[in-house]
Amino acid sequence: MATVGHLNGRAIIAPDSPSYGRILEDLIKNSQALTALLITKQGTVLAKAGETDYLNATAVAALVAGMFTATREVARLVGENQFSILLQQGELRHIHISLVAGDAMMVVIFEDNNRIGLIRHCAKKAAERLGEVALPAAPEFDTISLPKFKEYALNLIDRLFEPQPE
Amino acid sequence: MPYIGFHNKEVSFKIVYYGPGMSGKTTNLVHIHKNLRPDRKGEMVMLDTDEERTLFFDFFPLELGQVEGFSVRFNMYTVPGQSYYEASRKLVLDSADGVVFVADSRAERLQENLDAYKQLLEQLESLGMDPHSFPVVLQYNKRDCGNLIPVGTLESKFNLNGIPVFESVAQTGKGVMETVRKVTQMVVTKFEI
Repeated sequence: MATVGHLNGRAIIAPDSPSYGRILEDLIKNSQALTALLITKQGTVLAKAGETDYLNATAVAALVAGMFTATREVARLVGENQFSILLQQGELRHIHISLVAGDAMMVVIFEDNNRIGLIRHCAKKAAERLGEVALPAAPEFDTISLPKFKEYALNLIDRLFEPQPE
Repeated sequence: MPYIGFHNKEVSFKIVYYGPGMSGKTTNLVHIHKNLRPDRKGEMVMLDTDEERTLFFDFFPLELGQVEGFSVRFNMYTVPGQSYYEASRKLVLDSADGVVFVADSRAERLQENLDAYKQLLEQLESLGMDPHSFPVVLQYNKRDCGNLIPVGTLESKFNLNGIPVFESVAQTGKGVMETVRKVTQMVVTKFEI
């Protein structure tokens, strides 16, 4: 996947999330799922589509990333490299989680359990498309001026964590 | 390692509170969460057992604000302290940008502190991080208890020259904000693209 690359081992760059959003929107349209999220293995939301207002996507991303990583360890203990799909079945809502090209996870939330076959098919197609998204030729690495970024961030930190009076 | 989203204009870092069981990692996070303005924090997620021990991790996103057009966030995690959750601790520690080691200052917990710090060093190394240059802040918690481990014990045992050290009572909040301020400063200072 061209998405979540390491740059000199120092940062994770997500260069092309508008494409991801479009792919997720197609997935929602074709599968009639409720929500789709694309998240990094570190638990950060890269893109989302469908209904998202009801959902704390940040918390879901952190939890799903932890769950997927834990499941990978379970897989290793039973002699597998990893389980590429996780399915959580609820009473009204269900979650289909799949690994996308080893770099990210796609979370699809849906309500009609009879559509599980369609969901799996559409998720597989979306994962293939996501894997084909190309890196932009010249990522906008210059948009952050590091000295300024650090100076302002350190100022904000000082203001946010002022010591409390005893 | 930090995450940079150029299209959604977001930079996020991961801070992990590490330490032996019942040393006060969750209490630190709860205090920070309670004392932040509502617009600076997301919901706190706690995955604990019936005995209120952390089972996998506690988590909340801390929003620093807008910097150079980017939303800057610290994702705050704790690890489970009990020794049998070693595998879970390593999973949470993966891709961390900074660590607060919360030591239990009671003298009878010395060995647990030493074991946990040794494991932190081993896990950082096994995750490909250099424990000597990695941002770590040492917090001696529970300084209101009797029979305390002297500050300097872990530093001399593990040759932690220059490591920032704070004494705290997380239950009352003493030393908590100073600790989080230091670790976030260190993480931002070390940030590179």
